[in-house]
Amino acid sequence: YSLLVSELLAHLRTSTDAPLRASCRAVSQPGMAILPSTTVDVVEGCRLPVLRKNQENEDEWPLAEILSVKEIPGRKLYYVHYIDFNKRLDEWVTPDRLDMKKLQFPKKEAKTPTKNGLPGSRPSSPESEVVRVAGAGPQHTPSRPPQPQAQQKSIPTKTSLPDFQNGTARRPMPNQPGRKRKQPPNCGGTDEDSQDSSDGIPSTPRMTGSLVSDRSHDDIVTRMKNIDCIELGRHRLKPWYFSPYPQELTTLPILYLCEFCLKYLKSLKCLQRHLTKCNLRHPPGNEIYRKGTISFFEIDGRKNKTYSQNLCLLAKCFLDHKTLYYDTDPFLFYVMTEYDSKGFHIVGYFSKEKESTEDYNVACILTLPPYQRRGYGKLLIEFSYELSKVEGKTGTPEKPLSDLGLLSYRSYWSQTILEILMDLKPDNGERPQITINDISEITSVKKEDVISTLQYLNLINYYKGQYILTLSEDIVEGHERAMQKRHLRIDSKCLHFTPKDWSKRGKW
Amino acid sequence: MSKLSFRARALDAAKPLPIYRNKDLPDLNDCVSINRAVPQMPTGMEKEEESEHHLQRAISAQSVFREKKENMVIPVPEAESNITYYDRLYKGELRIPKQLFHIQPLGLDNEQPDYDMDSEDETLLNRLNRKMEIKPIQFETMVDRLEKASTNQMVTITEAKLLLNEDDYLLKAVYDYWVRKRKNCRGPSLIPLIKLEKRDGSTNNDAYVAFRRRTEKMQTRKNRKNDEASYEKTLKLRREFSRTVTILEMIKRREKSKRELLHLTLEVVEKRYQMGDFTGEVLSEVTAPLAEKPVYTVPITVTNGNRHNHKSGGLPYHGYHHVSVKDEDPFDFVRPKKKYTRREPLCRPGRPAKRQHIVNKADIKQYDFHSSGEEDYPLSPSSEPDEENDPDGTFAFRRKAGCHYLAPCLDQTSGLLWDHPELAGLDALRHRQSLTALSVPQRCVGLARRRVGRGGRVLLDRASSDLDGVLKQLDSGVFSSSFPKDLSDHQVPTQNHRTMPGSASSLTDLLSNIQALRWRFFRPRSTQGDASGEGRTGRPSMDNRLSGGLFVHTKNSGSGGITEEQYQVHQQALAQMQKQQLAQLQLKAPPPQQHFSLPERQNTRVHSLSPLTQMHFHLMWTSRPPHSTSTSQGGTGLDRSGRTPSSGGPLLPASHSTTPQSLPNHRGHGSAVSPAHHHHNARPSPSSLKLATMATSSLDRVPKVTPAISSMAR
Repeated sequence: YSLLVSELLAHLRTSTDAPLRASCRAVSQPGMAILPSTTVDVVEGCRLPVLRKNQENEDEWPLAEILSVKEIPGRKLYYVHYIDFNKRLDEWVTPDRLDMKKLQFPKKEAKTPTKNGLPGSRPSSPESEVVRVAGAGPQHTPSRPPQPQAQQKSIPTKTSLPDFQNGTARRPMPNQPGRKRKQPPNCGGTDEDSQDSSDGIPSTPRMTGSLVSDRSHDDIVTRMKNIDCIELGRHRLKPWYFSPYPQELTTLPILYLCEFCLKYLKSLKCLQRHLTKCNLRHPPGNEIYRKGTISFFEIDGRKNKTYSQNLCLLAKCFLDHKTLYYDTDPFLFYVMTEYDSKGFHIVGYFSKEKESTEDYNVACILTLPPYQRRGYGKLLIEFSYELSKVEGKTGTPEKPLSDLGLLSYRSYWSQTILEILMDLKPDNGERPQITINDISEITSVKKEDVISTLQYLNLINYYKGQYILTLSEDIVEGHERAMQKRHLRIDSKCLHFTPKDWSKRGKW
Repeated sequence: MSKLSFRARALDAAKPLPIYRNKDLPDLNDCVSINRAVPQMPTGMEKEEESEHHLQRAISAQSVFREKKENMVIPVPEAESNITYYDRLYKGELRIPKQLFHIQPLGLDNEQPDYDMDSEDETLLNRLNRKMEIKPIQFETMVDRLEKASTNQMVTITEAKLLLNEDDYLLKAVYDYWVRKRKNCRGPSLIPLIKLEKRDGSTNNDAYVAFRRRTEKMQTRKNRKNDEASYEKTLKLRREFSRTVTILEMIKRREKSKRELLHLTLEVVEKRYQMGDFTGEVLSEVTAPLAEKPVYTVPITVTNGNRHNHKSGGLPYHGYHHVSVKDEDPFDFVRPKKKYTRREPLCRPGRPAKRQHIVNKADIKQYDFHSSGEEDYPLSPSSEPDEENDPDGTFAFRRKAGCHYLAPCLDQTSGLLWDHPELAGLDALRHRQSLTALSVPQRCVGLARRRVGRGGRVLLDRASSDLDGVLKQLDSGVFSSSFPKDLSDHQVPTQNHRTMPGSASSLTDLLSNIQALRWRFFRPRSTQGDASGEGRTGRPSMDNRLSGGLFVHTKNSGSGGITEEQYQVHQQALAQMQKQQLAQLQLKAPPPQQHFSLPERQNTRVHSLSPLTQMHFHLMWTSRPPHSTSTSQGGTGLDRSGRTPSSGGPLLPASHSTTPQSLPNHRGHGSAVSPAHHHHNARPSPSSLKLATMATSSLDRVPKVTPAISSMAR
């Protein structure tokens, strides 16, 4: 009951918000959800089909949500997120790409405010409360995919605070389960609730690891890409996600990065000037691996803060769940480079906690877009397991994985395990056999990952009272094909790496 | 087969799994339905992302085709790799070295400016270059410094001048340009920087704040007490740091004043030189009025002033000295120990007659105060060599922490009790000092008192008196021959009740006093007058009077140079003397005609004591003869201790063992009088008198008691 009251209170307070929204709400009465005219303003939270080209360069009209609207002289631009597409495809679109005929206004989700923690997410007045309850059904248009309610994390109900502090009405996004409202910093009781993000109170991220799995810090700012383009060496990269580069640089058409020290510069002139002073031609760390043109450099996040931070800022552009909340001190960065006559060019990297309490051998891992889909990602993963082998540990990447991360890891695990299974020869005429622990030990892949891979490949079968591994023809063929394409491999003989016992060195 | 039985068995990671090819198992498909027995593993992805369209498409494509299809991959925003000016931008080539790169820990930064010039700056530079030459790096360095110096506020032009050592015109031009540019700048700084967290927590949710320090209490929840404690520690630390800052500021002030004073002194000296004031007349004339009004206002400077004035023979030292020191409370615990060792050498050459009523603490501070200016205090050696050179070696006097030391009070030491008869109360008290002469060097050391120090060493506590000047002239030879034969024992007490020492102003008076036995005078026995005839070096046989009690027994055991009759005579004389003394004590002024030696009195005292105490006394007193003999014979280089057992030896094994060791230092001890010990020594006297009175009544018992003593001593 108290919850209801506070919610009501929240509504009362938020109802004083922008008059624009009030008008929106007025038209979102039952039966008027689909608007016949385009004269009405498209505001944040609206959904509508938006034109985009798919990989075959065909027109598609996926449903999208308006995250932000900005006005530049002469026209309006809308930042859209395509529903069920990864955020990296979010973009600014011109009004002509919007299908205004199918515009849906922000949906009221009053029924389960306690479940998704978003009772006040759509500012509403008391009267719209009624609307919400009454109009919940009709608002579901067939074109609209059902809200993934079932997948939403269950969130306790401490979160009935409105989100209109700081003067601006920062609107949390719909369909952002787990998103929490900002709490005024001085709100009492933060001590109790800090470190625990599952209770719905926004808090600081956990101290360990470098990925955020909950979206408590995901607000409209971090939801949107802020850098248009990054020039790095020979490449121009289109960032996929938000990255906290200095805010004054986010308005630039191109952000220039020094290819070797990764310093960010506002103009080509500045980069030119910088290059007269920067004499780095490789990442500023120790080269611990070199074979052919591929090298790995180890950088200590505590000893080389500037580079580590610059690397993280760049990486954040392509990693959604990466957090830069805390400093880089407890991490090591392994930067993979490719050599040419100009120097050692960064291809990708992974970071790793100096001491992991959860068997993580990788925190963040990234192949820069220009190098993607060429086997470098697998090489990075392979290298990370080579390090674990030297350390005599099994390891697993920190979670959550991204879509690309999952595909890459699954692919690596599959190939690695299949390689072992296919190499096993019959022993004295007996059928070859192996334990999961053996596989884990040989590959340094954590046991759970071995099992999930075997399962994913559908190798585990129960046959005549025992578990067996079965290799089907298409698995074997597929594996052989894949291995033929896999030219880049780590040669453990070229690795010059001595693990350090970080626990003995004070704190990082 | 029921499904249940399959489900019961979990996948065992430690159990070997046989590997089959599908073709080997034609009946496998029958079992497919039970594959669900293996629990589904999580993908490790965020749930809502797992369902994303492109991922699902890619996953299903892979499971169908067992490889990636070009059109089934997850689309990503495009990247171009066709920067045409790349080669012009990144100049030079790098040949791959054979060795792996190894970064030197500190070899990276060569202090290049972080600021990078933009094209706007370039136009300015081009304009400026028409008038003067300014390189881009020079400009960048200037802007870099200006930026880094302006954390909260922009530096002013005056600050900029200090910051940049540049030509005025250039500086002005760059500064103005910088100010303009910075005002138009959108960011907080011309060097784009990542937003830093603010400690108040207001930036906790700022998306642009990155790389926060991990200092936030990780363990707070587990251990709040610990957190509280560290908070308090931090507070304390802060307090102490601010105190340090204060101290440093004061030091700075002091050093500045010092320098000023040095310059002033220099100036004074120069002026004096120009004036021809070589005798200091003019200076003293000028400084005299100053001395009368002590300056309290600026403590530090005053103390420093002291130093200088003192050296140049100007102002008196005291008066405001301690005042200034006491103001320095924060210095309370600053290096007391080190300063301390420094003190002593300072005292010796310096102003011995100066009064210092300042207590120890202040004393310490005094030297603390000059500590940093050692160059201005050449007298003070550093503490380490000081300790090494100390002749006392391990016995050197060291101050103890927490001990309160008083500065020597010279008006008490110099004022002997007979200077204040009203205080002394008893005339006899003056007996505690006697005229004493040493055999080597043969001279009279003036008034002294003998006592046994550590390890059985004999210490002579000297007292200064008005007689000192006169006594110096005394040649030990003068009286050694002139003394009556019967008093030729090596220590002859002389006494004068009538004449106050202070009135004996001339040497002749003194001599007559001595000869008339009005003064006690202890001197080494003359070599030729060796009554016992023992030892050709004129070693005195056991001084019977000195250690009478002891002597009784040694004589009884068949050795010794004193007869029973002599002893009896002595006993009688002793008794008589005691009576006289008593009478004298009671009547306050009555002049006893004659006194036997002080040792005699001590002797009687011994008899009156309990056996244990007696033994103690024996040890004390009998330890002396060897010493006195060695004192007298130190010059001859003969070790007499081997023979002393014939007299007092058997009783005194302990003292014997120690004496040889102390021989070399012996004279030093005898002559070096520590004024600090003076009071202490004086104290036992009244009690000894009391004992003496008791002795008179118990004289008869002597023979009975002594055997017990001897046995116990053994």
